Amino acid sequence: MNARWLAGKLGAAALTLAFVLVFNFFLFRGLGDPTTQLARLPQSNPEEIEQLRAEYGLDKPLLGQFTDYAGDTLTLELGVSQRTREPVWEEIKDAIPWTLLLVGTGTLIATLVGAWMGVKAATKRGTRTDDGLLGFSLFTYASPEYWIGIILILVFAVAIPIFPAGQQVTPGAEFSSWFAEAMDVLDHLVLPVTAMTFLILGQYFLIMRSSMVDVLTEDFVTVKRATGLPWHRVVSKHAVPNALLPLVTIAAIQFGLVAGGAITIETLFSWPGLGELSYNAIADKDFPMLQGTFLVFSVGVIVANLLADCLYFFLDPRVQAR
Amino acid sequence: MSSLLEVSDLHVHANGRAIVDGVDLVIDRGEALGLAGESGCGKTTTALALMKLLPGGMSQSGTISLRPPGLEDQINIERRTERGMRFVRWRHISLVFQGAMNSLDPVQRIDAQFAEAIALHAPSAASQEIAERTAELLETVGLTPGIGRRYPHQLSGGQRQRVMIGLALACRPSLVIADEPTTALDVVMQAQVLQLLERLREELGLSLILISHDLGVLAETCDRIAVMYAGRIVESGPVRTVFENPQHPYTKRLLETLPVIGGERRLAAAIPGAPPHPGEPPQGCRFRPRCPYATDRCLEDPLLRTLAPGHAAACHFAPWSEWPEVEQPAAAASEADG
Amino acid sequence: MTGARARELLLGTWRGRVALAVLGLFILMAIFGEAIAPDDPDASSLDTLAPPSSEHWLGTTESGADVLSQILAGARVSIVVGFAAAAISAVIGAAVGLLSGYFGGWTDRILDGLDTWFLVIPTLPLMIVLSSLLEPSLGVLILVIGITSWAGTGRIVRSQVLTLRERSFVERARALGASHWYILRTHIFPNALPLIFANTVLIVAVAILSESALAFLGLGDPTQISWGTMLENAFSAGAPSAEAWWYVIPPGLCISLLVLSVSILGYLFEEYVNPRLLEHEA
Repeated sequence: MNARWLAGKLGAAALTLAFVLVFNFFLFRGLGDPTTQLARLPQSNPEEIEQLRAEYGLDKPLLGQFTDYAGDTLTLELGVSQRTREPVWEEIKDAIPWTLLLVGTGTLIATLVGAWMGVKAATKRGTRTDDGLLGFSLFTYASPEYWIGIILILVFAVAIPIFPAGQQVTPGAEFSSWFAEAMDVLDHLVLPVTAMTFLILGQYFLIMRSSMVDVLTEDFVTVKRATGLPWHRVVSKHAVPNALLPLVTIAAIQFGLVAGGAITIETLFSWPGLGELSYNAIADKDFPMLQGTFLVFSVGVIVANLLADCLYFFLDPRVQAR
Repeated sequence: MSSLLEVSDLHVHANGRAIVDGVDLVIDRGEALGLAGESGCGKTTTALALMKLLPGGMSQSGTISLRPPGLEDQINIERRTERGMRFVRWRHISLVFQGAMNSLDPVQRIDAQFAEAIALHAPSAASQEIAERTAELLETVGLTPGIGRRYPHQLSGGQRQRVMIGLALACRPSLVIADEPTTALDVVMQAQVLQLLERLREELGLSLILISHDLGVLAETCDRIAVMYAGRIVESGPVRTVFENPQHPYTKRLLETLPVIGGERRLAAAIPGAPPHPGEPPQGCRFRPRCPYATDRCLEDPLLRTLAPGHAAACHFAPWSEWPEVEQPAAAASEADG
Repeated sequence: MTGARARELLLGTWRGRVALAVLGLFILMAIFGEAIAPDDPDASSLDTLAPPSSEHWLGTTESGADVLSQILAGARVSIVVGFAAAAISAVIGAAVGLLSGYFGGWTDRILDGLDTWFLVIPTLPLMIVLSSLLEPSLGVLILVIGITSWAGTGRIVRSQVLTLRERSFVERARALGASHWYILRTHIFPNALPLIFANTVLIVAVAILSESALAFLGLGDPTQISWGTMLENAFSAGAPSAEAWWYVIPPGLCISLLVLSVSILGYLFEEYVNPRLLEHEA
């Protein structure tokens, strides 16, 4: 049961990934291979272009090209950046940890704060607290995360200079210890993470609130209260764990939103992650890099979904029976 | 006073509407009282009010006095705070709901649910003692101790119902309130659960309040029965007396919905119409709009009157020695009322 | 969408009235904004990044243009792209949902698989990849957002069609010899329409946010002013460092208010649709 379930999920993930490869391949080759872009340049030389085509394997039949592409991708041969002439994978490899740091911290805080707010609003349903929290969440959901980011910079990095306005470390600074450097990174992390948190906080709050409201109507809550358990324990020990289950499932659907937020926020804060790489690639029409970052974002979201599924399996005994 | 529970003038309001509008109950030690009526008449709300478990938007008034055996002073439930109620709940009064899927915490093992309830009222108990008590309770309700390791969804409906009963007995209360304990079960299971309740009542000297819309169930298990309509009790008395000689038109109509083996072959007539909305009781007797015997006299509110020792009814024309003929609605559907 | 209940929800509730009013205001801005703007939004002057004054109520941009005028002119892009992209998304989503739900089998497997894929794949990166291949313009924006935002609608419609398909009126129609297309057109589609509509209103909100994000990243239409491009310009011109709050706050605030009002209306429509769904079940 466990193994078969896992195999099923992995299979679905692999299929999704395969589709990403197909999509990527046809998008860029189909809409005109890189050499036609080059051919538009005035200094283009037809012989050089032929050579490039052979080099890129563009003279092979389509299926052959695709298998080459798939094979390359799976061995992390993602091509060369048209901008920097460096291998795409090298740059992506260095960027991934920074994006993970931003996205991971943001998700963690948003989950904790959003869930807490959700419980508060559900237990005080209909009161001003509830209305206030709802209004706040709706507003943060409707607000572009980069706009909130800009305001954060304006207020907390310029007007009242507590935090740095960008990048991940103070440029040119020397650090006496690993710890001191970590502190510096943390200092730079605060504003971008705040912007990221605002992006997803609203959704997590709404889901948790709705989930809690449903759970609180269940008979077992009345029964637990009837056994003499104090209300706050009924909520924390019984209602919340049950309410968290839908949160895990639905939060998984938000991962795409998080990926998008990473792009805009990293751009804003010059944070050296995948988002910034994507942004630079847009400006330079660096297609290998765009393909590469899109691929990695997709893989990231697929993996995150898989992890969420596993977490849910672990938390809900009813799923384990299947 | 040998009565275990005395409820006087119980009212429950929600949004300014009266859901329970003046209910009096007396339950003796070891007695089983049945509370009958259509859904929405206030039976479950009454039960919750007894343990002060009403949801936030509702308020209650009236006195509820509990005299558990072995306790010197009576417990005045209406005066207890939420914190104070924690020592009354489960220890003196407990609750059995329908064993539906979500009457038990779905992510908690059965033995943990028992342990939690036991430990709450016996904080110094060792885990060994708790485990033993849990096994004992499971055995009492006819389940193997192995059930403890399972989760609620792994149990059948009948097993879950037994778990709920076992759980309710965990702290040896003197009163158990069972709200529709057999509704979700098939006939065979129903019989088994009722037999179990009956046996436990005898062995442990429990008092029972059994709530059901199914008169058949109440007839089997209860000593006395109270029929509720629109938030009030319209008839109460010993089960045999009320069933053989109902003194309120509503009770009579309810009894008519029960098929009788060997009786006339006819479709059970549903009572036409519907109970009044809580905020808009009709003038006078609440059953008047649906009562085939209503006259202008019924515009005056009939009070619950004692007709014979232990038997009371709220109808101007009680005692009824015989029931006049009335037109049965033609080809009535055989759906159960409510 | 007719009926007393729709009117009741929209005009009867406080949130409905406010949301409708705000949306109406922005639509008016989209139509008349540029006409009533005090200055030409593109006009530059020497008065760069100046705080609000009697001459420029919301101050000026980095090239001396009037911020208020740009705000008024920018409404058009958000409204047009938002509604047009949502319309495309609605058509694709409805088509996919109807076909996959009604025909089942391989049609369903393929279409639903496609739907799932679009749901899983991160939307903004996908939009970026698609728009970067084409020359930026309003049309491209509308197209790209439209073809990447339909998956949610598709799923919801499919689910409803699955329920509707089993209804007795469908069986009766088939027994009478009606073709699949007839049934889809006369029975299934009209019943799914309220749901499609309610869901699409919420997609408008998503589309507006998507357009702004793409504009902020430089993928907007360079010939048009939008609130997103205003934020892009503000940022690259160093408005935060210059503490030019008058340039930074209004565009984002407008996006938020527009998205908020559309979202509230969307939720109200959903409320309207859901009880009716239950009625049909009875």
